[in-house]
Amino acid sequence: MTKGYRDNAPISASAFLDELMRLKRGSVSRRHFLGVTGLGLATAVLSRELILPRPAFAAEDLGTKMSIATWPNYHDPATFEAFTAATGVAVEVNVFGSNEEMLAKLQAGASGWDLFVPTNYTISTYVKLGLIEALDMAKLGNFDGSTQNTRFTSEGTIDGTVYAVPKNWGTTGFAVNTGKLKTPVTSWKGFFEAAKGEADGRVMVHDYQLTTIGSALKVFGYSFNSIDPAELAKAEELLISVKPHLYAISSDYQPAMRATDAWMTMCWTNDGAQLNRDMPEIAYVLGSEGGEIWTDFYAIPKDAPNKPAGYALLNYLMDPANAVKEHIANGAPTTDSRVAALLPKEMLENTILYPDEAALTPLEFGAAVTLTDPARAELMARFKSA
Amino acid sequence: MAMSAAGKRRAVTGLLVAPAAAWLVVFLVLPFIAIVVFSLGERAPEGGYQPALTLAQYMNLPARAAAFWNTLVLAPIGALACLVVAYPVAYYLAVKADPRWRLLLVSLVVVPFWTSLLVRTYAWMYILGSRGIPNLLTLVGIEDVRLLNTPFAVLVGIVYGYLPLMIMPIYVSLEKLDRRLLEASADLGARPVSTFLGVTLPLSMPGVMTGVALVTILLLGEYLIPQLLGGGKVFFIGNALVDLFLQSRNWPFGSAIAVTLVLVVVVVLLGAMRLAYRVAGTRQVDLV
Amino acid sequence: MRALVTAVYVFLYAPIALVVLFSFNAGRHASEFTGFSLQWYGKALSNPFLTEALLNSLIIAFTSAGTAAVFGTMAALGLERLGPRTRAVFDGLFAAAIVVPGVVIGIATLVALVEVFRFVNPVLTFLWPGDTPPKAGLGFFSIIAAHGLFSLALVTMIVKARLASLGRDIVEASSDLYATPFTTFRSIVLPQIFPAVAAGFLLAFTFSFDDFIVAFFVAGSKTTLPIYVFASIRRGVTPEVNAIATMVLVSSILIIAVARLLLTERRAS
Repeated sequence: MTKGYRDNAPISASAFLDELMRLKRGSVSRRHFLGVTGLGLATAVLSRELILPRPAFAAEDLGTKMSIATWPNYHDPATFEAFTAATGVAVEVNVFGSNEEMLAKLQAGASGWDLFVPTNYTISTYVKLGLIEALDMAKLGNFDGSTQNTRFTSEGTIDGTVYAVPKNWGTTGFAVNTGKLKTPVTSWKGFFEAAKGEADGRVMVHDYQLTTIGSALKVFGYSFNSIDPAELAKAEELLISVKPHLYAISSDYQPAMRATDAWMTMCWTNDGAQLNRDMPEIAYVLGSEGGEIWTDFYAIPKDAPNKPAGYALLNYLMDPANAVKEHIANGAPTTDSRVAALLPKEMLENTILYPDEAALTPLEFGAAVTLTDPARAELMARFKSA
Repeated sequence: MAMSAAGKRRAVTGLLVAPAAAWLVVFLVLPFIAIVVFSLGERAPEGGYQPALTLAQYMNLPARAAAFWNTLVLAPIGALACLVVAYPVAYYLAVKADPRWRLLLVSLVVVPFWTSLLVRTYAWMYILGSRGIPNLLTLVGIEDVRLLNTPFAVLVGIVYGYLPLMIMPIYVSLEKLDRRLLEASADLGARPVSTFLGVTLPLSMPGVMTGVALVTILLLGEYLIPQLLGGGKVFFIGNALVDLFLQSRNWPFGSAIAVTLVLVVVVVLLGAMRLAYRVAGTRQVDLV
Repeated sequence: MRALVTAVYVFLYAPIALVVLFSFNAGRHASEFTGFSLQWYGKALSNPFLTEALLNSLIIAFTSAGTAAVFGTMAALGLERLGPRTRAVFDGLFAAAIVVPGVVIGIATLVALVEVFRFVNPVLTFLWPGDTPPKAGLGFFSIIAAHGLFSLALVTMIVKARLASLGRDIVEASSDLYATPFTTFRSIVLPQIFPAVAAGFLLAFTFSFDDFIVAFFVAGSKTTLPIYVFASIRRGVTPEVNAIATMVLVSSILIIAVARLLLTERRAS
């Protein structure tokens, strides 16, 4: 190396090392170090040149991309477009058909999600396995715990720590195309009978152990959450006898119902409301024996690659003005009185969203044990591969 | 000190094969050992794997008998269905087609391979769904036909996806066929059918065997086509395997099934080679 | 006969025609044609997730096929010089790499790598001087490695077959003329085997570019084009995916056509 080259360098190698050692010893400030070595200037230039300008209000660097894991037909696409327009962060939506599938992805590591939508009964397990963050409520100014209906929201908080905040609640019943299926179906027993009879080849069940096994258990009057081997055996027998008559095993049943490929399906409130809104001949029914009542929450995985964006989107979704649009699009009932105040009257009076209390009474919330119980998991897998 | 000629030669050979050897060991042998070890373990309480030394997973294999059976039936049926469609095409290309157009026609068989199989299979979801063929059938008065999510739909997807792999080897073996043999046979007064049965078909047997073996073996591990066209109802063992990792989170049982599937593939492959030897007089089943 | 063959070609191309047709759909569903529009091409090219997935797939396919072409050719040359027993071991491993189903390769690689990371990451954390040690995880590396395995076997088999048809005479004649081994390789062997290497590379590239199931297991949070398409099918496909598929189809047909033209011209001159 020539002397001339060294002279032109902002700082010589040995001087750089001296400065570095002084920095390490703490005798210079970082600013002095960066100033002397020219690194500060370099990084400033680089960041100006390389990193795209951000909207002024973003206090934290939100990046340009984030990813959310959620359920089929669950959001207003306009919500994410508006969020992207406001923050410059594009949102990738991944769709899942069961909580087990979400758990499997998180357990394998590196899901890549910054936000996801687990159901009430799974949260305690996620916390136990250390897969989700305790939420930093300071970043969620739009959330107000006092306006939440605690009947639906208590499972998001464990030992006083908030791990998840609610998206909406709902029920699990079934949707029937009354134009195709003439006999009225009012119970889970009737659901499975019609699947083998009048609607042979036209019925769908979820690709989800909780609801598929749970609903089969209700036919016999057992608990939706049973893990009793004898009771599960009865449910398995029923499911396997029905399987050859099913149209499909899938949690994304809206396309098949809309195309009338399928005439009847296990169904969540929100899908039932959407289907009924667009095709009034599709009715949403709660099985008379009971079934599931649930709340879906938002949570942030511990290994989320872009947590700032995860929090930003979550806070955005907690703003009642934004949340109400989500409810209008997905047709699920709200847990938040601020949102309920903004909902149109016809939604609040819609019995698909808000059934009377008598219809809700026999419903059960999912139990944590069903998520990890090996017998239920294996039963579902056997049913699918039979 | 200079290396001896033999030593130098050995060193060069070693350098040439070392990267491939390392790749094979690290990404084939080690993963296989890993699933064998996992298959002897237990499912952790919340799912996943925990170490153990038990054959319990293998004892539970009958719980997936239906999926194994489906696969072992549908894979050869799929390959034979492929063969039935592919043979006339290969024959036409090799024997009947105008030589000027032959190259183009052969290329057209391969081009679909260049679009995503996923996207093409998705197109079949539309064609077989109620807006597709069933909708056309209602125009002629046939109502409520259901095609999607049936074994038939899966079979269509299989024939569609694997057809080029069946046409090519048969075409190659027929192309080698000496046309003078066919003419000689005709000159000797043989009817076209007996020429075909006596001359063409036997000569194309190596290609047929290669195609059938190749497609059968690839089908043993099929996942996508049953997943998309079978509606989660028509399960191949590949689907059962994915399900164990993606839903039930039973890694040890999944590993045991993976090990078993590999053994099944090996047995089928050896069987195919045997059959090929008997039928076509060659032990070689070219897989490439 | 002709009618039958025509029917098969229609069978082969009808779904592709449908994919292309819907890429020009004005509506947002890939199932109901509501009018002609090019908007989805614009949307596809400006969708950061879709373009990232496409770019990832290209990087992975190039790297895995390229590495496989080099290492596979080396292996094919080296195998010729090995004893019969060692060669049989290699042949068996290469055959296994080809016939073992992708779903098993994906799962086995995932299982093995998760174990390796569980061991390596604490070590990395312990040794790393700074506060945020790098974490080994699934991603480009694992996809390239798993794709490379199949590709390596593919290239080796193809080049080996070509070498076998070459015969040793030509190589020996050249050495008799006092050419150095490297000169012999460059001027005699390489031109002869080049078409095989190129064919192997192309096949490997196609395999990697189209593979879903292996990448599905070992991709971690990375998205390849097939993974993106699979996720879109679950989400409800928009014609964006059709637009990308059409662009991929057209560019690959162009590449094949150009390669054909170049090769025939070379042969003619």
